[in-house]
Amino acid sequence: MLEILLIPLVITFLAPLMRPKLATAVSAISFLIPFVYTIYGLAENLVVKQPIIDIVKPIGEFYILGDQISFSFALAICLVSAMVALYSLPYMAHRFEEMGREFESEYRKYIFFYDLYATSMLWLVFSGNFIMLYIFLEISLLASFLLIYMYGYGDRRKVATLYFIWTHIAGMLALIGFLLVASTNGSLAFDSIAKIGFTAWLLIFLGMIIKLPGLGPHVWLPWAHAEAPTPVSALLSPLTVGLGAYVILRAYLISPWFIKKFMVPIFIYGVVSSIYAGFMVFRQNDYKRLLAFSTISQMGYCLIAFCLGTYGIMAVIIQYISHAFGKAILFMTAGGIIANYHGLRDITKMGGMHEYVPTISNAALLGFMNLGGILTVGMFGEFFILKGLVDTFGFDVSAILAVIFVFIISGLYSFYTFKRIYCGKPAGYEKVKVNRLLDTPLFVIGVISILFIFPPLAAILLNALKAGVAKILLLGGVAP
Amino acid sequence: MMLLMLQSVVSLILITLGAVCSIKDSRISLAVSILALVIALPVAAATQLFMYVLLVVAIGILTIFSMSVKENQMSGVDYSLVALIALITIYIAYTNDVAFILAAFVIASVPTYALVFAGDRPMVDVALKYIVFMVLATVLFIIGTLMLTFSSKAGDPTLYTLGFVMLILGLGMEVGCAPMHEWVPDVFSAADPLPLSVIASITKIVPFVAAYKIILLTELPQLSNLTIFVAFIAVISMFTGNIGALTAKETGRILAYSTVANMGYVIATLSIVTSKNYLYLAFAGALLQLIVNAFGKASFFASIKTNGNSRPLMYLLALSFIGLPPLMGFWSKFFILTSLVGAGLVWLAFLLIVNSAISIPYYLRIARNLAGDTVPGKVTAIALVASAAMLITLIPPNWFVSVAKMIIGGV
Repeated sequence: MLEILLIPLVITFLAPLMRPKLATAVSAISFLIPFVYTIYGLAENLVVKQPIIDIVKPIGEFYILGDQISFSFALAICLVSAMVALYSLPYMAHRFEEMGREFESEYRKYIFFYDLYATSMLWLVFSGNFIMLYIFLEISLLASFLLIYMYGYGDRRKVATLYFIWTHIAGMLALIGFLLVASTNGSLAFDSIAKIGFTAWLLIFLGMIIKLPGLGPHVWLPWAHAEAPTPVSALLSPLTVGLGAYVILRAYLISPWFIKKFMVPIFIYGVVSSIYAGFMVFRQNDYKRLLAFSTISQMGYCLIAFCLGTYGIMAVIIQYISHAFGKAILFMTAGGIIANYHGLRDITKMGGMHEYVPTISNAALLGFMNLGGILTVGMFGEFFILKGLVDTFGFDVSAILAVIFVFIISGLYSFYTFKRIYCGKPAGYEKVKVNRLLDTPLFVIGVISILFIFPPLAAILLNALKAGVAKILLLGGVAP
Repeated sequence: MMLLMLQSVVSLILITLGAVCSIKDSRISLAVSILALVIALPVAAATQLFMYVLLVVAIGILTIFSMSVKENQMSGVDYSLVALIALITIYIAYTNDVAFILAAFVIASVPTYALVFAGDRPMVDVALKYIVFMVLATVLFIIGTLMLTFSSKAGDPTLYTLGFVMLILGLGMEVGCAPMHEWVPDVFSAADPLPLSVIASITKIVPFVAAYKIILLTELPQLSNLTIFVAFIAVISMFTGNIGALTAKETGRILAYSTVANMGYVIATLSIVTSKNYLYLAFAGALLQLIVNAFGKASFFASIKTNGNSRPLMYLLALSFIGLPPLMGFWSKFFILTSLVGAGLVWLAFLLIVNSAISIPYYLRIARNLAGDTVPGKVTAIALVASAAMLITLIPPNWFVSVAKMIIGGV
């Protein structure tokens, strides 16, 4: 287990020494190996625990924890990171040219921070201690911040600082929460925490709501995700924000009382944030900003699903995977258009893009299908949300209608956006030849997201999740 | 112990000789001062304090090198003075004797009176301002200590309170905590950057260790009521420092206010000195924060002198100050936060976090102002060593807590 996780970490430090093409290929492979391993882990229902180091008293042991939940999150992280790494090569070549920088030396820096960013997220989901988790949360923040700061669009330094401050506050709030847990339990290792108190839970929850983000503290997200260089957006939005849900999930699995007690307010908050952000999507004219608002809407699903018992927890995980796949594809389509048409992001200037970039358009359709939960892994997510809803609230018409409304809005804005950008009257551009690396990775993710609704992958994922979540919730703690 | 005494005598003779020989050639003094510090290492090797001594020696050598970036009117003597400060920073860890602690406090402070004059064009008015404040601080600290020692024996609560307040005021003035920080921005923006790389860094360690030891030696039951006073000073200091740094323009001035803020984080740990469970963690955090501050400030001020330094190193140091894991600056703040939360001062921990968020923009500004090309040279070497020190905590620094326990544990 540890050896597998060390591969991307070692490659992070080796990749900058290689030539760009080789570095990209090696980085992608270093994420595909753990990807294969996660599927194997899910299929075999593996639960791994490997101690690393024991820290002073109130912090406790650092260990690698690989259970079904870690594997499912890692599955999305590995696949998306590998594909976006391939995509980075042509895209960043375009970006450096635009910025007037020398390709090879800049790419060395870029690939180092990119690998560091993706690796830290991968390690985060295998952390068995809240402080270890926090450390990787901050490393991922640092790497993504530097990438925006160096290669972002618009007023990139200001946006990067805004992003840094908001997410740093989020992390630090959660850190106080963790420390409160440490002072009452004497340890922060997942398997030795007995209970998370009210203040601690509140701080962790608030911190992760900023990171997730919910309605209110979401102000930083559209800026950061829209102005980041596109490959970074394609990790930020699909992977990083959802890690907020992962942290809440870990806390929930240890001590679920907080979410259970405040179930109704959190549910309503999730519905409101999802609907608000869904409507905001209709108003956006910048492709990347539009996708950023859709992220807020999708993360509302996670908040809703948290309130819905065992099936809800399964839905959170599947929602994370499906959103990661869909949003990664969509950000990469946005980037494809930017790279081919010299920074074209304004939707009002698009129209009938299917004529000019048919491959990208088809990939976008797959992406929107993921968001809408149609014929992709997202379908299970919506199914489990509804199942959990009926189990928890009974046949409550208003709750069911609210959730259905949320789903419908997602479907509506997805296909409305698709229509605005790719269908309709062609806007009169030249047809270009799209670099292979700008569209193939998108299809790989798209195809895998569809494969997940068919056996054997669907069976592997759902059985593992059901076994993992049910066992953990029955024990009332973390799997040994 | 014999070995330690022998070594201290040898070191002192060496640096005195070095200062004398510097009339002929300042390089002799440079070599001898470094030698005087290095021989402290094998003596400490057997003890558990080795890592502390190693870090202090590294900071000492770093600051000596930063003085040697450019010749000044007292080149040679200044190396000896810095070596003297570094030596006393090592020795204070070994002692629990109030008289010796006070002597260490004075010895760590007095050399800077001379150092502040060093530079291309001595700013006499600024230097005098600095000296006046330092003398006042030293007097307050000494009188406070004497009152504490006396009243803890005689059991006089009023005198104890007065003594404690004077000690904290003296300490605050010495290191530059708000609201006694008046001298810091003026001196830091007007004096020559090279002596400042000493004044802002290594000299801050001794006062805090001394204060910790004295407070623990003279503890009376009502101490737990008094510590809230320290917490207030910490809060004022953090906010003054960070808001000041946010609005300052010159790099030197930003660094000055950042020192005020950092001293606020450190003094905050004194507010839980009565909590026996978290005392060592708090002290470990304070000491580590002082070490981070020393490494970072020494390289930043040296980089101001050369108008810039290697870009990645500057950013790394700035990020360590912000407190990103796994850099050393994270662990220091983390220990401080853990101890504050553990001892029940959650509100103080919260304010510390707010401040650490406020500090992000100006540390990035410092890094941007100082970032330049990588040119091999003394200043780059200084920043490189400092950055390497920030990275030694890639493995979580458990050992540091036991070191901290050793330093104040016998008290």
